[in-house]
Amino acid sequence: MVEIARRIRIRERRTRNIGGGVSIPVVLFLVAAAIFLLVGSLVSPIFAQQTVAGLAQGAIFASLALSLVLIYRATEVINFAQGEMAMATTYFAYQLTLWHLSYWAAFFLALLTAFVFGAVVQVALIRPVQHSVIAVVIVTVGLFVLIDGLVTWKWGADLKFMPAPFGNQVYHIGSVAFSRQDLGTLLVTIVSVLLLWVLFKFTKLGLAMRAAALRPASAALVGVRVNRMLAIGWGLAAVLGAVAGLMTEPTVFLQPTMMQAVLLYAFAAAVLGGLESPAGAVIGGLALGVFLNLIGQYVGFATSELRLPIAFGVLLIVLLIKPHGLFGRRQVRRV
Amino acid sequence: MTRRFLVAVCVFLIAAGVVVLLPFQLDGYHEGLAAKVAIFFIAVLGLNILTGYTGQISIGHGAFMAIGGYTTAVMSHYHHTNLLLTLPLAFAISFAFGLIVGIPALRFSGVYLALVTFALAVSVPQFALKFSKFLGGSNGIQTSTTPTHLWLYVVSWTCAGILLLVAWLVLRGRTGRAFRSIRDSEIAAAASGVTLPIYKTLAFGISAAFAGVAGSLFVLATNGFAQPNEFGVFLSLEILVGAAVAGLGSLWGVLIGAIFIALLPTVSSSVPLIGSAHGQDVVFGLIVIAVMLILPTGFAGLLQRLRSLPGIRTVEKEG
Amino acid sequence: MGMKGRVLAAFAGVLVVAAVAATAAFGGHRADPGVTSTSITIGGTFPLTGPASLYKTIPAAEKAYFDYVNDHGGVNGRKINFDILDDGYNPAQTVPLTQQLVEQTKVFAVFGSLGTAPNLSIWGYLNQNKVPQVLIATGDSYWGFSYKKYPWTIGWQPDYPGEGKIYGKYLASTMPTAKIGVLYQNDAFGKNYYAGLRVGLGAKKGNVVSAQSYDPTQTNVTQQILALKAAGADVLVIFAIPTQAITALVTATKVGWTPSATIVGNVSANRLFLLAAAANGANVNGVISTAYTVSSTDPSQANLPGVKLAKAIIGQYAPSLNTSLAQGDGNVIYGLGAAWTFVYALQHAGKNPTRASFMAALKSMHNVVDPFTYPGIKMNTSATDNFPIEQDILMKWAGGASGDWTFFGQLYNGVR
Repeated sequence: MVEIARRIRIRERRTRNIGGGVSIPVVLFLVAAAIFLLVGSLVSPIFAQQTVAGLAQGAIFASLALSLVLIYRATEVINFAQGEMAMATTYFAYQLTLWHLSYWAAFFLALLTAFVFGAVVQVALIRPVQHSVIAVVIVTVGLFVLIDGLVTWKWGADLKFMPAPFGNQVYHIGSVAFSRQDLGTLLVTIVSVLLLWVLFKFTKLGLAMRAAALRPASAALVGVRVNRMLAIGWGLAAVLGAVAGLMTEPTVFLQPTMMQAVLLYAFAAAVLGGLESPAGAVIGGLALGVFLNLIGQYVGFATSELRLPIAFGVLLIVLLIKPHGLFGRRQVRRV
Repeated sequence: MTRRFLVAVCVFLIAAGVVVLLPFQLDGYHEGLAAKVAIFFIAVLGLNILTGYTGQISIGHGAFMAIGGYTTAVMSHYHHTNLLLTLPLAFAISFAFGLIVGIPALRFSGVYLALVTFALAVSVPQFALKFSKFLGGSNGIQTSTTPTHLWLYVVSWTCAGILLLVAWLVLRGRTGRAFRSIRDSEIAAAASGVTLPIYKTLAFGISAAFAGVAGSLFVLATNGFAQPNEFGVFLSLEILVGAAVAGLGSLWGVLIGAIFIALLPTVSSSVPLIGSAHGQDVVFGLIVIAVMLILPTGFAGLLQRLRSLPGIRTVEKEG
Repeated sequence: MGMKGRVLAAFAGVLVVAAVAATAAFGGHRADPGVTSTSITIGGTFPLTGPASLYKTIPAAEKAYFDYVNDHGGVNGRKINFDILDDGYNPAQTVPLTQQLVEQTKVFAVFGSLGTAPNLSIWGYLNQNKVPQVLIATGDSYWGFSYKKYPWTIGWQPDYPGEGKIYGKYLASTMPTAKIGVLYQNDAFGKNYYAGLRVGLGAKKGNVVSAQSYDPTQTNVTQQILALKAAGADVLVIFAIPTQAITALVTATKVGWTPSATIVGNVSANRLFLLAAAANGANVNGVISTAYTVSSTDPSQANLPGVKLAKAIIGQYAPSLNTSLAQGDGNVIYGLGAAWTFVYALQHAGKNPTRASFMAALKSMHNVVDPFTYPGIKMNTSATDNFPIEQDILMKWAGGASGDWTFFGQLYNGVR
């Protein structure tokens, strides 16, 4: 097992630039951007407030982007139903609160259910067609519509509301307001990334999952249950999605379409950061949130209709320079 | 003249015969439905050329349909252009747009390309909202004349027939071979002298042009009314579903794929399941999943499997 | 036209001549489609799924009213069959579904179809085929002003520009120096509201210091609220659909902004939404909006015949809507009110109603009182007035997180 770990580390390192797919120019650029934001915030309160609000928005994009990245890392597919799965789990949490569970009890029970849900989807629907990328995409599209229909049938389409997870308190530093909800969301997102990192780097399970994703045949030879790892991967991704859904609910409330717009931005964030990098997804999400808010504030032409096109425009520009995202690894193409 | 070619011609003639005779049996409303099949036929055909034959995944064909559709609406609304004339115009403009998109697309592959095209599908309708004075915004834009059911039926199926012929001619020749070699292995293709950028961009252009015509007819089928909500994300996904059900890389299943996505919503809504409208979504989703699980290579794949059953001799020609 | 086209056209021509000859031979009165001696069939398209699906209580309430009428003998002995179709707020669906209603189901009239764009996509078709397109669920003013070109189309509710005008007049008279910040949806719905506001403000329209639009795909409107606050606005006007209206109220409080007045457009003034905003920390006391229907939760209206009837009908024919009604969901009352108007017009369309007589009845209402509308509101239509309801009453929120709307002032007239 140690030998496998060593081999995997070497292989992963070979296909990267400097540890973790991170290149020096990108890091420098991000540091420069952070400094710009800091200075701007000190100079102008409205700049500061927009940045803070952007980070809060971005945290939501980031948390869904994380689940997209996890699925892609594990099985190299894009799950179009990720948002709807997150939405369904959130509705389930809502139902639990209707059955008189406390918010946090419902939260963690929903996460557990999400894990099972994700694993079951992988085993029942994805595994049979996993040899064909297009077939998997179509199955997830069908799942999207199916889940939407089922949720609307069971709970209806009118707006529903859950108790606020972090309360409604607002803190003020100078004239800049920070809401507890936004801080909570940010915290939860960062904790998720850290937990994921710990899982992959330091646990046997994480190692086995990485092996299954990178070299399924070799991993199987040394006793890694590849299929099980894939199912677990989907389960974990569903958990992350559930977190995203539950953190989104306080901003758009419960309705069947609640995750659809978020999914679009999450795609952009995930690709921006590089589809295989969890840290990239988070940084991509946060960056996107801040960028959109600042552009909306300071560029007159950038009215609200163009928010989505701008997000994708940014993505396009970044991809043209770095075709695998900010932290993506360049794949060596073999004949 | 291979046997396969003769079979193809026979099938085509029978299908053409059905198409010509159908209006005498159908009333106006069903003619409209049949026209819808033709429209999706054209769109799925276009996507098949891009994704099935050159392996470039696109989840953005709704954007090209929007371009074609708005071209028709705008030309008819402001210049009272004859509706028929707007079709070749839509073809040309969408072709140009496809080429423009194809150039940066050269840099992406696989999932990244899919997401870039997806971004396109999401963004294009937003521009109709941004330039609302010219493009009508959320109130849409209306053509100056609206076609009858019969007109729509005749024109859609004629276009479908013409474009099928065009597709067949393109795909059987050198271009088609170049496309297929790109799909199978880009590096090998490049090594054998296929200029990748030209063919890949050309594929985008042709594919977009087809989608543009489909988009024009789509708007005409919506009473000549073009509005951003008609070209949502789901339209692009629907065309992809149609192409997958048809079976990528082959022209045989395109009609089946088109019938599937054109008629499934109507069929699902008449199934009395789980009460009123939500039954429709549930049924649609279930059927799409079931079809993919049973036939991951689509209808064309099914045909291929049937052909390779023992006892059926065939002369296999790539395609 | 090609050969086939010409053959078909000739064939059709022969058929038409034959039909006309047959009718002339048999004479007599041919009933309009959708009408039999025992029934009348109508239909409409509604967003039962998709982004606007929270309005699906409207057709449910309308159906409940028709069921009630059917149980009491129908209209002149005819029962009303109401086909509710789902177009998902997508005109590409609205068109074929409406064609299905007209050409397959052969409805007498298209009733209550919801949404501006969906109705715009079919009004040419329906008017061309002389099919009534009535009491449609949208507050745009096109239906009221275009009666010459589209005589078969008519709306019901007071329109958005008119409502915006009321807010403008109110602000101009009670807060003539206040700086106004407007949040509006970036489509015709929001833009028309905003245009109405400016008309109402009249000479004071310069008081609007900032107007921020948002796109329905945005998940929150913090950026816009911040911009309005930064521009120094003192009054917040929100022309938004429910989700963004609620988040706007919440965000304003969260960023530490207490406008001296807040106005919310009627479409988002459902009691449920204000309660939700309050539950999420918004300061909702004093928020102003308008109403034109009775309230199912205002104690001072509990004995109004419309309120009692609403509770009875929903209780018996649509019990799944009981909770919504009890919490003050205005969409339920809206549906009942529109359906009542339909039945009224049908009753006055003669013993053997035709589409033409029905439209005539609908367009010649004089001080008709719909029990589900706010007391004092009278519907009037004529050959030149295609706006059934043109009155609104202002209301203000009181009681915080468990409060309700209280109505004040006089009815505003001439809302269009």
